[in-house]
Formats: sequence, C-alpha cells, structure tokens
Amino acid sequence: MEATLGLARRVRGGRVQFGSRRVSFEMSVAERLLIARLKERDEQAFNEVVRIHGDKVFSLVYRMIGNRAEAEDLAQEVFVTVFKTVDGFRGESKFSTWLLRIAANHCKNRMKYLARRRTDGGGLDDMPEGAMADAGRAPMQSHIDAPDVLLEAAELERLMQRAIETLDEEHRLLVVLRDVEELSYEEIGEVSGLPEGTIKSRLHRARMTIKEYLARRTR
Amino acid sequence: MDHHGAREMFSSFVDGELGETSRRELEQHLEACIQCRTELEEFRRAVGGLARLKHAAPDSFLPKIQEQIFVRSRGRFFAGRWKLFGRIPFEWVSLAMIIAMLVYYIIRLRGAPTGVRPAL
Repeated sequence: MEATLGLARRVRGGRVQFGSRRVSFEMSVAERLLIARLKERDEQAFNEVVRIHGDKVFSLVYRMIGNRAEAEDLAQEVFVTVFKTVDGFRGESKFSTWLLRIAANHCKNRMKYLARRRTDGGGLDDMPEGAMADAGRAPMQSHIDAPDVLLEAAELERLMQRAIETLDEEHRLLVVLRDVEELSYEEIGEVSGLPEGTIKSRLHRARMTIKEYLARRTR
Repeated sequence: MDHHGAREMFSSFVDGELGETSRRELEQHLEACIQCRTELEEFRRAVGGLARLKHAAPDSFLPKIQEQIFVRSRGRFFAGRWKLFGRIPFEWVSLAMIIAMLVYYIIRLRGAPTGVRPAL
C-alpha cells in the first residue's frame, strides 16, 4: 500500500487556507481510497493508517509531552479520535496534517492537564535504564552502539528534551513540527493554523531559546 | 550589520531561505565576528540535535489501539467484526431459531396426517 501511495497518480485534492492565501494541495488516488475505506470501518485500512502515521504521531506527542507512558497513552487516544471523527474529514487539507492537527490539540489539552496535576518534574523517562532503552530504540539506529555511546546519546536526548520543555506549548509545537518531524512551513501552517511569517518568527525565537539553554548546560 | 541583525538571520540562513544579498551580508559579518560565528555554530548544533529526536512508536502500539477501539465500541467499530461478532447474541441466535423452527415445521408437516379423507 505504501508503494501504491508513492506510485499513485496524483489528483487535485482541494484548497486550504494558509496564512493569508489559499494553497492548493494534491492527494493521491491511493490516499483517497484509503480514507474511503477508513470511513467504511475497514480494519485493514485502519492498520495501514497506523503503520503509515504511527511513528510520526508518537514522535510528535512524545516530544511535546516528554513522558513516554503519557505519550503512548495520548498517541493511542489520537488514533481513537481520528477513527471516531474520520467521517468529518472532508479532504480540505492533507490527511497527514489533519491527523497531526488532532495530535497537536490533544497534546495542548494534555499539557494543560498535566501542568495542573504536576507535583514533581517527571519529564523524559527518569530512569537511566529507560533512557538507555529509548535511545536504543531510535528509528535511525540500525546497529548496537557501545554502552558509553548509548549513555552519551541518552544524555544528549535528555538534554534536548529538557530544552524543548523550557518552551511554551505554541513554540514547542513549532520546533517539534519543523525540526523533529521536518515538516514544511506549508504543512506547519495547516497543522497550527498560523501564517508563514508568524511561524518563522516564533520558530526562530524557539530555536534561540533552545540554543541558549544548551549553551548554558554544556559550557 | 550588527550582532543583533546577524542573529536574527540565523534561522533563515540555516534553512537556506536567506536571499542572496542578505546571505552575503551575513557571511561578511561572520568572517569578521568570532562571537556571531560561535553563536551560529551553537545554533546549528541545537537545530541538528533536534532532528535526531525522532522516535518510533513501540511495537505494542497498533494492538493497543485496536484493543481500545474494540473495547470502547463493544466490537462494533470495524465493519468486518461487526458483521461476524459485533451483535452475535441477537442476530445469530435469531437466525438459528428461524432455521430450527423451519426444520421442525417441515418434519411435523411430513409426519402429520393431512386431515383430508379420500372420497369414497
């Protein structure tokens, strides 16, 4: 199916508001078919969607929330919401950005809830073993590194996560979408609903904050 | 160009979105300013570090979502499952009862006298 998605003929999907202008986007025939099957409650289509978008959603939620258990729970909740509301998807934006928008809204709500509930600062997995295991699970890691390399990677990951957590939810979302998920500014506009200029200026401020944080911690 | 002006361009510079003139101005400033050069290096490292934070979903991710959806919808969400198992007790039991009644009726009808006497 993924191959079909790539090879499929591209068709006009619709137009979406992006900042002050309207941007047209394309949706593949395969993606349209997949969504149609989803609306018919096809279990295979459901599995396909989780396989295609699962990592992206989980990664976004994990970096926004900073806690693995919470992220797992929330990412599952995102997909449950997606399948409950898929009938309302009218194809006015890309399916992937629609899905990420749902994820972003869930994250914001959960962050507010956690901020109210938080008693101690349990950010990224507090157990070193957990961090080690997480570093080892990173998708780009195709071989097993030496323990000291893993430890260093886990420490760096923890530091980067702490840096992200110094940002407020809006800035955090932009940094995660752009620098972690590597979305284009257009896609970020669809997810966040912000105009391109605002995205760029906020993203710059967020990156500078992270840079300052890291510089202070590593000097 | 001053330090502040240079720093404001870091994001666009790193993203490769700076116009030709601005890029040249920034590069000239960077050549002369070690402070901004160091800061740009730190900036690049921060942005590069973020790109390595992608995280794969756990292996149990899909089964857990399936389970949640199945439990919450009481097995009625997926079309396939709905037809076969979603409403088992009512639909399958009533179908079985209809078949049983039909079989019983046919058997009784065959065995029972017609009640019609042949004409003498």
